[in-house]
Amino acid sequence: MTTASSLSPAPNRAAAPEMVLIFRLSGEAFAISVSWVHEILDPIPMTTVPNAAAYVPALVNVRGAIVPLIDIRHRLRMPPVTPGPASRLVVLELPVAGVPTRLAIMTDAVEEVTETNLEALELVPDLGARWPEHYIRGVVRIGDDLAILLETENLFCPDAERPALA
Amino acid sequence: MDEINPAVSAFVQEAREILEGLEALLLDLESDSDAEQIDAVFRTLHTVKGSGAMFGFGTLSRFTHHFEDAFDRVREGRLSVDGRLIDLSLKARDHMIALLDCGGDGPGATALEATPGAVALLAALAEITGAASVAPKGAAPQATPEPAPSRTAGRRWTIRFRPEPDALRNGMRPDLLIAELGGLGSVEVGADIGALPALADLDPTLSHLGWTVTLDTDQPRSAIEAVFIFADDAELEITGEVTEPAPENPVRPVVGQAQPAAGEASRKKPEKTGESVRVPAGKLDEIMDQLGELVIAQARLSQMASHEPELESVVEEVERLVTGLRDATLSIRMLPIEVVFGKFRRVVRDLSAELGKEVTLITEGGETEIDKTVIDRLSEPLVHMIRNSMDHGIESAGVRLAAGKPARGTVRQEGGEVLIAIEDDGAGLDAEAIRAKAIERGLLTSEAQPGESELYQLIFAPGFSTAKELSSVSGRGVGMDAVRTTVDALRGAVEVASRAGLGTRVTLRLPVTLAIIDGLLVRLGDAVFVIPLASVEECVELDAAERQRESGRTMLCIREHLVPFLDLDVVFGRDPSTETRRRVVIVKADGQRLGLVVDDILGQHQTVIKTLSQYHRDVEGFAGATILGDGSVALIIDVATLTRRALAERAERKPAA
Repeated sequence: MTTASSLSPAPNRAAAPEMVLIFRLSGEAFAISVSWVHEILDPIPMTTVPNAAAYVPALVNVRGAIVPLIDIRHRLRMPPVTPGPASRLVVLELPVAGVPTRLAIMTDAVEEVTETNLEALELVPDLGARWPEHYIRGVVRIGDDLAILLETENLFCPDAERPALA
Repeated sequence: MDEINPAVSAFVQEAREILEGLEALLLDLESDSDAEQIDAVFRTLHTVKGSGAMFGFGTLSRFTHHFEDAFDRVREGRLSVDGRLIDLSLKARDHMIALLDCGGDGPGATALEATPGAVALLAALAEITGAASVAPKGAAPQATPEPAPSRTAGRRWTIRFRPEPDALRNGMRPDLLIAELGGLGSVEVGADIGALPALADLDPTLSHLGWTVTLDTDQPRSAIEAVFIFADDAELEITGEVTEPAPENPVRPVVGQAQPAAGEASRKKPEKTGESVRVPAGKLDEIMDQLGELVIAQARLSQMASHEPELESVVEEVERLVTGLRDATLSIRMLPIEVVFGKFRRVVRDLSAELGKEVTLITEGGETEIDKTVIDRLSEPLVHMIRNSMDHGIESAGVRLAAGKPARGTVRQEGGEVLIAIEDDGAGLDAEAIRAKAIERGLLTSEAQPGESELYQLIFAPGFSTAKELSSVSGRGVGMDAVRTTVDALRGAVEVASRAGLGTRVTLRLPVTLAIIDGLLVRLGDAVFVIPLASVEECVELDAAERQRESGRTMLCIREHLVPFLDLDVVFGRDPSTETRRRVVIVKADGQRLGLVVDDILGQHQTVIKTLSQYHRDVEGFAGATILGDGSVALIIDVATLTRRALAERAERKPAA
C-alpha cells in the first residue's frame, strides 16, 4: 500500500498525487487519504457509552459490526453541533496503534474526492489555528480553498489526549 | 519437496490429526483391547506409512513400517497388548510427530533418525517383533484376531479413480495408489484414455487418464478408502458387490461420468469421530456479522409486512430460517470439553510413571459444549492443575495405605455448565505451610488472620510454592499464577476448597462462551442495556417510598435479607430518571447480592457478544456490546466490574465527606 508511506512525514517522497476525501467541520475543509475510507453513510442511531472518554463517546452499528464513533470535533477543540441534513458518517479502516481498526467520524458534510500533490503540503504557521498541532499534517490547496490534512496516526490514537494536554 | 505445496501441507495436517487420534486409540487399547481397536491402530499406521512415502516423508514411512510390523503381530495374536507395548507405541507416536515436524526427508529427519532415542526406539520395536516371532507368547485372548468382524468374505469392489488435471503437479502418484490397492487383493486395472488429447496438444504435466480398478479382497471398504485418503484432488467412486466374481470384465470407460458427489461421499475418514473442517475463527466472526445484519433486515421486513397480510407467512418463514441459521452458526463455535480431557489421559499416564504414584483420572461431563476459544485457552491451565494435584496432592502409595486410602489416587474433573472442578483425594493444602511461606514472602503480616479461603487464594500469587524440593513436574510456583491469569482473561473465577488429609478441590467458574450469552434487556431512559442472565437472581419493583427516601439509605429488604442497590443512572452519569414505576434487578457478583435500579425490564434476549474496541476496553462496567433486533447497539453490563467501580467511587468519596 502506498498509503503506509504517506503516513510518514516525508513530503519529498510523495511526488505521486494522493487522493483525498474532503469533508467539512464547522465550515472548515479537512482532508483524509481515501485509502482509509471504508464507506460514507447517512447518520445512523448511535449508542452512548457511559463513562467513556469524551473523544470516543458512542458506538454505531455499521453493517453488523460495532464501530466506535470518534468525536474529532472534540479532539480539534471545536464546540459540539447537532447533526444537520448534510451530516455524513465517514467509516474509516486504518491501523491504530498497530491494530487494524474500523471507526467512524461524524462530519458536517462530505464534499468530494480530489487529487492533491503532497509536495505542496504547507505547515500550519504558529498561531495559525487552535487545533493541537500533532493532529495536523499540514495545509493543502484545493483550487482556491485550503484543506487541512489530518494526521490520522495521532488523531485516532487512544492515548493521544495526553500529549495534547502536555 | 516443496514445502509450500498444498498437497504436502494437507498431508501434514491430516497426518497430524490422524496421529492425535492414534494417541487416544492407544490409550483406549490399554484399558480395553478388542480386535476392532487393534485393526484401527493398524489401519492408522498403514495410512501414514503409505501416504508418507507418497509425499516425500520416506523417513517417516520407513519408521512407521517397523511400528506397523509390531501391530501386525498383535493383529495376528503373536504379540499381546501390555503396558510395555503401549509405552513403546506412545513413544513411537511421538517420534512420528517429530518426524512429521521435520517437513519431509532432509538433513533434519536424518539427524532425528540418528538420535539415541530414535535408535533405542527402533531397537525396542525390532526386539518386540523379533522376539515375538521366535517365542510366540501365549496369545492373550483379547488380542486373538476374530476372523469375522473386520473381514468380509470375498468381495468385489469397483474403484473408479480420475485425478484432476493438475493432481500430478501436486505430487499425486497414481501408480503408487494402484500398487497399494494391489496389496489389498487381486486387481484388474483398466485405463481410460478417452480424455487424452492429440500428441501435439499434450501437456505432459497434466493428468489425462482415469482408471477403473476391479479389486477382489477380503478387506473392508475402509481399507480401500484409506488408500485414497490423501488423494483428494481426484474423482473417486468405490462401489462394492458381494459376489462370486462375475465372469465378465466390468471395466467401463468413465468418460462423461463426472461423479464429484460420489467422490465426496466415499472419501470419509475411517475414524469414528466424524469428519471435520478447519476454519479460521475470523471467518466465523464474519459470518456472525453478516447474520447480525440479516437479522436486522429481517426485522425491518416483518415491520413492513405487518400491513401486508399476504406477506405474513413468507416473513414468518424467513424469520424461522434466520433464527435457525444463527443458532447453527453459533453452535459451530462450540466444542465438547472432552477434546481437552483427551490430552489429560496422556499427561496422567506419563506423570504416574514419573512420580511413582498410581493415579486414576476420572472425567465427567465431557459432553458439555464450550466455546472453542475458551477451550483453547483452558487446556494449559488445566494441565497445570492436574500436575499440581498429582505432584503435591496425591500422596505416595505407602502414605495412602497408611492413611487407609486406596493405593490408587484419583483426580476428578467435572465440566458442568460453567463449573470445571479438579478434585483429588490427596493430602489437601497445608494451611500452615502456606501461611508461613506467605509471611516469609511478605504477602501476609505475621499478625494477619486471614480466613481459610483467603489463605488458599495466596497459592495463585506469582512464584508461590510451598514445595520443599523442586521436581521436574512442579514446585516452581509458576503454574497456579498462570491458571489465574488465564481464568481472569476469560472473565472467570477460581475457588479453592481443601480439607487436610481428604483432598483439594479447585473450581473454575467460566462463561460457557465468549461469543453468546442470554441477556436481560433493561431500559434506562431511551438507552437499552443487557445484563447477563447468568448473574441475575430476580427482579422486583422499586417501592415509591424507596425512591423518595432522602436519608441516603440505599438498601432493600428482600425476604428478610438486606440487599444494597445502585441506581444505574448515577453509575452511568445520566440525568436522574423521572419515571414513576422503576424496577430493581437483583444480581449476584463476587458472591454478593446487589440491586441495580433501572427504568424498565424489556425482556430476555440471546445476544452475540462483541468485544469493545481499544477505545472502550478500559471503561469499567461493560463486558462488550451487542446488536439488538432493531439494529441498535446495546452495551452488555459486566456486573462484577460495575460493582467494583461503584465501591471504588464510594471509597473515594468517603475521605472527602
